[in-house]
Amino acid sequence: MMSRPDLKTIAFLGLASFLGPTSVGQDEQPLSTESVQFFEAKIRPVLIEHCYRCHSTEGQGVRGGLSVENKDALLAGGESGSAIVPGNLEESLLWNAINYQDFKMPPKNPLPKAVIEDFRKWIEMGAPDPRVNSGVVIHTKVTPEDIAKGKEFWSFKSPKKTEPKPVNHAKWAATEIDRYVAQSWDEHRLEPANDAEPATLARRLYFDLIGLPPSPKELDAFVASWKSNPDSAITQAVDDLLNRPQFGERWGRYWLDVARYAESAGKEVDMTFPNAWRYRNYVIDAFNKDKPYDQFVREQIAGDLIPTKDDAQFAEQLIATSFLAIGPKTLIERNPRQFQADLIDEQIDTTTRVFLGVSVACARCHDHKFDPIPQTDYYALAGIFQSTETMFGGLRSQRSRQESNLIILPLNDPNPNDKPISKTELASLKTQLSEREKEYAEARRAQRQPDKAKEGSTPRNGFLSIAVLDQLVAQINSRINTVDSDGKPLTLCMGVQAADKPRDAKLLVRGEIDQPAQEVKRGLVQVLCKDQVQLPPNTSGRRELANWLASRENPLTARVMVNRIWQHLIGNAIVSEPENFGASGPAPSNPALLDYLAVDFMDNKWSVKHIVRSIATSRVYRLSSAFDKARFDADPENKYAARANARRLDAEAMRDAILAISGQIDLNRPKASLIASYGTTLLGPNGPALPPGLNMAAMSAKGTTPGERPDTMNAIRAAGRNQNVNPFEAPNYTRSVYLPIARNSLPRALDVFDFAEPSLVIGSREASNTADQALFMLNNPFVIEQSDAIARQLIRSSSNQNERIAKAFALVYGRPATKKELRTATEFFRKADDGKKPSPAEQRLFQSLSQFCQALLCSAEFRLIN
Amino acid sequence: MQFELPAISRRELLQTASAGFGYLAFAGLSTAAADQESGANPLAPKAPHFKASAKRVIFLCMQGGPSHVDTFDYKPQLATDAGKGGKYGGSKLMPSPWKFKQQGKSGLWISELFPELGKHADELSLIRSMHCDQPTHPRAMTQMHTGNAQFIRPSLGAWTLYGLGTENDSMPGFIALNPPAASAQNFGSSFLPAIYQGTKVGKPQGRGPGGMRGGASGPQLADISNPRQSKQSQRNQINLIQSLNRQKLERDVEQPDVEGVIESYELAFRMQDTLPELMDLSKESAKTLAMYGINEEDTNDFGRQCLMARRFVESGVRFVEVTHGNWDHHQRLKTELPENCREIDKPIAGLLADLKQRGLLKDTLVIWGGEFGRTPDAPNGDGRDHNHKGYTTWMAGGGVKGGFSYGSTDEHGYQAVEDKCHVHDWHATILHLLGLNHEQLTYRYAGRNFRLTDVSGNVIDKIIA
Repeated sequence: MMSRPDLKTIAFLGLASFLGPTSVGQDEQPLSTESVQFFEAKIRPVLIEHCYRCHSTEGQGVRGGLSVENKDALLAGGESGSAIVPGNLEESLLWNAINYQDFKMPPKNPLPKAVIEDFRKWIEMGAPDPRVNSGVVIHTKVTPEDIAKGKEFWSFKSPKKTEPKPVNHAKWAATEIDRYVAQSWDEHRLEPANDAEPATLARRLYFDLIGLPPSPKELDAFVASWKSNPDSAITQAVDDLLNRPQFGERWGRYWLDVARYAESAGKEVDMTFPNAWRYRNYVIDAFNKDKPYDQFVREQIAGDLIPTKDDAQFAEQLIATSFLAIGPKTLIERNPRQFQADLIDEQIDTTTRVFLGVSVACARCHDHKFDPIPQTDYYALAGIFQSTETMFGGLRSQRSRQESNLIILPLNDPNPNDKPISKTELASLKTQLSEREKEYAEARRAQRQPDKAKEGSTPRNGFLSIAVLDQLVAQINSRINTVDSDGKPLTLCMGVQAADKPRDAKLLVRGEIDQPAQEVKRGLVQVLCKDQVQLPPNTSGRRELANWLASRENPLTARVMVNRIWQHLIGNAIVSEPENFGASGPAPSNPALLDYLAVDFMDNKWSVKHIVRSIATSRVYRLSSAFDKARFDADPENKYAARANARRLDAEAMRDAILAISGQIDLNRPKASLIASYGTTLLGPNGPALPPGLNMAAMSAKGTTPGERPDTMNAIRAAGRNQNVNPFEAPNYTRSVYLPIARNSLPRALDVFDFAEPSLVIGSREASNTADQALFMLNNPFVIEQSDAIARQLIRSSSNQNERIAKAFALVYGRPATKKELRTATEFFRKADDGKKPSPAEQRLFQSLSQFCQALLCSAEFRLIN
Repeated sequence: MQFELPAISRRELLQTASAGFGYLAFAGLSTAAADQESGANPLAPKAPHFKASAKRVIFLCMQGGPSHVDTFDYKPQLATDAGKGGKYGGSKLMPSPWKFKQQGKSGLWISELFPELGKHADELSLIRSMHCDQPTHPRAMTQMHTGNAQFIRPSLGAWTLYGLGTENDSMPGFIALNPPAASAQNFGSSFLPAIYQGTKVGKPQGRGPGGMRGGASGPQLADISNPRQSKQSQRNQINLIQSLNRQKLERDVEQPDVEGVIESYELAFRMQDTLPELMDLSKESAKTLAMYGINEEDTNDFGRQCLMARRFVESGVRFVEVTHGNWDHHQRLKTELPENCREIDKPIAGLLADLKQRGLLKDTLVIWGGEFGRTPDAPNGDGRDHNHKGYTTWMAGGGVKGGFSYGSTDEHGYQAVEDKCHVHDWHATILHLLGLNHEQLTYRYAGRNFRLTDVSGNVIDKIIA
């Protein structure tokens, strides 16, 4: 087993912004009258007059994350550390600042000597400060009785198997699942549709399980096998598909939707996460290995705390905890306390919705409106996450105010672009870093005092220089941080680690960070726990949280997951809002079926493949989607699954199918991700703000000020001109799950087709029809290129035009063309070959064939799975 | 060039659609959701909650935080107290270097920086008591657009489109002209269906490296034209696609999704013509171009965008946002603020006059404002700091009072004190003018009904004519 000390972490900058405890346990002692008088007479007026403007919520913001408005805020300090450490002048940054040491405050003129003396006295007295919220206790209105009663809500009780007793369609039912479904038809007087045609079914199975269409050969084999024995044809196909690596790529992506996976911070400052791809691969591999779901859950919440047998397993579990670190971040936030509160909120919201299908985050500001979840439950969970350090990387710069460490993995598998740096080069980089930092500081000074700026530098250039220098400093740092002190590339991942000391969170009145109330003991969501839970006092409790989420005792975890699997295969979820199993959510359409699946899931070692197999081999899965008015009117929303739902191909399946049909698909897993090759950097609307080559050019360019360096300026101008070329749109033939996912610049092929918004937990995607989609299909170079590739294939395969047309239909639709479709096609070619164009006949033929193939890809038949 | 196209009209298409569902799945609504929408195309014009005074919006967004005390919030006391310490001590109060003058019959005090716009004082409703919760640019911008800076939420324009639909079926209903860089979330639909999101037209305006001002080669839209086919050849191809789609519809009997696909191709085809046509200003008269300051050095860029905005709303686009950047005057206020004001003064005056002469101003709501304002004191000598506690925005047309001033800041302009207007109130008022009740315009997501104004917002009745 690996022990904790083997794990190293690195700090990306000297001052890590991790917060110390906000409570130092002195709140209990009452302040003497004299000390309060001293504070009121000598300290408070100075703070208001000289500090409030920049360091209070009443002024123009909380600069450097520091507010001086109350005792808690001063103790917590800002980005650089505690402003006041009672009794300790050396450690109190406020003391440092008013004495113009490392910091200089107030910036214009130092305080008079006498005032500075007052501060010395005050800090040495223990910094008595009456401005505390002590004694504020928020009483929840949720009573123990409410919670006890809440436990009776259907989804908060453990799932139980009941015996299905179908009457009218008992003979129809082939598997246990069918019997539960048939039972609900009795209740709602429904008649099942016929079984679908084998070719339809093959297409449905392939897209559902691996996200790709069957090749014509596979299709024929399935239909032939079906003719001799439908049951074994399906079973064989399902087992075959479950064993292909493409299964994990398809089903892992569903998980990435709920895990709000992305490779950048999103929001205002879109910083890359160049190691997020490790989590993506972890998820895909977990589905392929059929990692038991309970273990999958445990690893994502507390993989760092679970004993392992070797380094490889430890690395895998550390990567799993990226789940908690990859969420969207407000890196522009200056106040580290606000940043941490928002980070924890995002972790609580995502964790509870993804695993439990309930939202606890509503309780940040007040008791939950619908479920008996008191505000204190939220802060009980917040204590667990507050006792956890989140490692998301990033780089501090003018715009990006927050950063953290990353985890060094016990593996030698660095990002492919992170090359070793020789010792001389490393030393030179460090020299450059300190030079650029110096220039940056000078440029800042010049900006503040424009009168003293050098002659000849225009204001706009001045601004640009600062921005460029700021970026350069960040980029050099980014380069240095990818290697160890010998210049050897490090293998890093995002994730979480236990904080030094666990501590309970203070409840925040209305969720406001400057309004702390009582401390809340770390704990779990009461209404979801059978008995009172006691978390150990000396650890965060995160491991216990993970175990509880992944336990059979938890009433929600299994239900939420089987509901998702059902939705992906059948089209309608049993609980139609898959992340809302609470009181405000919809009731399950078939509670007995949901419970059966949940119990069966747990009984079979939480095997996802087992549930997929059970559903895919059921007779319900085989139903036809053909329209029947009576059946439609009896259940317009198809809640009871008496027919199949025709479904839209999602963005990935569509792009992958186009590539598969064109024969250009590359089924190999790419190394890392395109985003990894850019390292830690800021993204603009069209990819990296500065292309990687530019950094090096700019760094090595010589000159007195960067604005005068011709190389730098030329390179930046070139980058400006290329802003419409997004490197994330570069030709790429890998499966769509491997495309770069930057939150603010998604690849267009995904973005226009309702890709899951990567900043939200998305359990079911929209399926919209927009003009933008049509424009993409008609005009985008990717679609045109693939249509050309299909046309070339057809021309190679046959010299007969009719054969080519027939083959095109078979390739794209997975079925032969109807007579009418063939006539339509012939008509198209007749018009296309009007012969008015000057180009040679051969080229005209190729172009019209390509346009024809493109039309098939554009058509609704290709986009809909029956 | 004109082609005789064998195009089928939308009406014909609908007639050939065998089932009576229309194009109900155009936005991919589930059958259930579509039922709620009573079978309508989600982009089709919808009746407002009550009689609206504004039918469409042009939002002139001033990115960076324009100084209110130098433009629309006249503070004589600032001159009297010049050089004294500002609030909380710190730097010294700086009187506005520019003169204010009472303008129009209403006598609104407006700075000399807006000589042209000042002539339209009697159209303006100044809101001089704005405040928001965010002191930094990106977060305040996000709050101004979505009401919320912490989470990804739908934009004001997306909510408007969701509430009202649009009137031009050849154009997107919500257009962001030359949006700022890294602002996708400010025009997004978040949990609303994607069909309601803003369509970005034009090159993003950048900040910092690689995104310098100017140099835009004219607004663009992705995949708006085919790199290879002629119009006629593409129509031929679309006819093939639609014929295949209609055959599928016949086979499937009922398939709203197919109808949605059919409709999306027709809209795309129309957009390929309509959008470039609307963006082509060459047919506008010399007089009109001159009104907007087009072909004059300082006003050309923004003037073109304002004129384009007029052409868009005139054609039935519901919500158009135009951005003008670089209002963040920490330094060089005295030289740069006049430049900024000159760049927008004539174009906006032209826009108001043009809307008025076309009879559009009465039901077109024009909104002007930045994410916040600036402080009355000057920490850097010749520049002002961010100020989200008090600033000014204005509205014109669309049923607001003209020549009116609402609310006020303190004697120096530090914070809103009288009739305060939070961003939520501002949103509530905009929706109200559009005939939408901000408390009723909701969308269900993650188990609860969300709205633009969250749990806040009061309509400012006083500015409504």
